[in-house]
Amino acid sequence: MTQENAVRMLESGTIPARYQKNIGTIGVDGQLLLLKAKVAVVGAGGLGGNIIELLTRQGVGFLRIIDGDCFAGHNLNRQLLATERNLGMNKAEAAVRRIADVNSDVVAEAVPQMLDENNAAEFLAGIEVVMDALDSLSARRLLARTARALKIPMIHGAIGGFTGRVTTLLPEGGADLEKLFPDNSGEVKGIESILGNPATTPALTAALQVQEAVKVITGIGEPLDRQMLYFDTQFNLFEVLRLK
Amino acid sequence: MNIEVRLYATLRERAPAEAELGVFAAALPAGSTVGDLLPSINIPVAEVQMIMVNGIGRELDTVLQDSDRVGLFPPVGGG
Repeated sequence: MTQENAVRMLESGTIPARYQKNIGTIGVDGQLLLLKAKVAVVGAGGLGGNIIELLTRQGVGFLRIIDGDCFAGHNLNRQLLATERNLGMNKAEAAVRRIADVNSDVVAEAVPQMLDENNAAEFLAGIEVVMDALDSLSARRLLARTARALKIPMIHGAIGGFTGRVTTLLPEGGADLEKLFPDNSGEVKGIESILGNPATTPALTAALQVQEAVKVITGIGEPLDRQMLYFDTQFNLFEVLRLK
Repeated sequence: MNIEVRLYATLRERAPAEAELGVFAAALPAGSTVGDLLPSINIPVAEVQMIMVNGIGRELDTVLQDSDRVGLFPPVGGG
């Protein structure tokens, strides 16, 4: 199908088979909002691969995938888009192929470059929600500053070992970005530098991030605005902390 | 006063041997801050990214009260 046909069917009260199981939670109006939404995913690795898969299946109509990196063997344990066949391929390009295989309603754009100071505003132009699937706190700081300047909600997720954290930064939320994303290029490393990233933690974190995006786009439910969901599956801890 | 300390992820390794799941009690003089607590429990400031007191984000200069629950989180930045 094409996105145009899917929208036309939904508007006339017919639900395309592929969205039937979505409607009970988000309704026809929610599905239409998702099909008309433009989302950027920055990073197509552990978090990004899972995020892209879920946004595609949920039926978000436009995805811009930004990643300058290529798949390597050490990605195979957790990165959904990495396969033995596509090692060496650019991650954003691989994502766009996967999206086309899963849902032809989704218009996907690959940006095979790393986000930097010079291109960040351009890469986020026209985007309604940005998914943070980066792999360092310093890179996230640039993304968060850019998203705030452009008034784009940013769904933050980060992982290390058994631990993940998720928060939704709304433009008016006023979170302290310097504190949330300290410069960890120097001595202070994230725990992932010690604990690595096993298969399940990015999938779990990505699912929570996509649920946040669906809530923000459809207006259904309560996003993690000024709240940080923090989990540690080693000891079954799931906590929602209030950020000031 | 007595504070309940909760250490998360890699910080748990710094908890006293008797602590369960990184949770233990610390005794501090009245008027102490989070910044006073950290050296008293051998946690370097550089290893702490988020400080929560009774579930709310706070700073090193936050003054603690008896029975406060202090959660200390290391930086998490992978993707």
